Amino acid sequence: MVATIKPQTNQISARGNTADLEIIRGFVEHQAHTAGFGETDAYQIALAVDEACSNLIRHSYNNDESREFMVTIEVANEQMIIKIMDNGEPFNPLSVPEPNMTEYFQKFKHGGLGVFLMRKVMTEINYQPAKNSKSMNILTLTKHFI
Amino acid sequence: MNDLKFTIDHQSVGDVKLLKLQGYLDAHTAPHLESALGNLIQEGSHKIVVNFKELDYISSAGLGVFMVYIEDVRTTGGDIKLSEMKPKVFTVFDLLGFPMLFEIVEHDQIALAKFTA
Repeated sequence: MVATIKPQTNQISARGNTADLEIIRGFVEHQAHTAGFGETDAYQIALAVDEACSNLIRHSYNNDESREFMVTIEVANEQMIIKIMDNGEPFNPLSVPEPNMTEYFQKFKHGGLGVFLMRKVMTEINYQPAKNSKSMNILTLTKHFI
Repeated sequence: MNDLKFTIDHQSVGDVKLLKLQGYLDAHTAPHLESALGNLIQEGSHKIVVNFKELDYISSAGLGVFMVYIEDVRTTGGDIKLSEMKPKVFTVFDLLGFPMLFEIVEHDQIALAKFTA
């Protein structure tokens, strides 16, 4: 089973496999274009979702493709709201400190830039960990129309 | 990895290796680039130009690959120069300040000339 988009809905379910990132990006970019975002914004919104889903697949799901997560999109009130919902160990990307890029380059560091990119391109980011074992962690990425 | 959604065309120009990327570079395909660069460097190639003309997408996983090797190649007097990026791809590098560390040029010829200067 690969990532599946429900027809005529605004949600996609994906596996804990980075091969599904391409499908997720295509879905998000298409929704962003339909909502009226230009090419650059649509690309960057898909990028932010990619970064969030990459972290989820690799770190939270340990690349276990038997596990699933969901991405939903809503467009309302001059904004696009994307929710990424999973049942892994909670991980709040907002807890990741912003890197000092001068130091990052001086020390030739690598990794850890995905959250930084998400923050740069999205208008708002919100994280709600699951309240119990039956509920989901929800990462909400919002992009305002300008 | 056998993934036609990301391919690398290898060429040599003198002692400079030119890699032409095609497709997309994300967390799924980045390991392919990482092993290709790793193999080149292990074989003794330290002058590398990476051409992005046919690359449609990059995420932080792709940028991270260059960070893995840049210190090594510069220590031996070489470099990894990046060329011909589409504007939306360049924006990702620019958002993270990568032009501070990497030489990003418009054409392969500029990068090649800098290696022979």
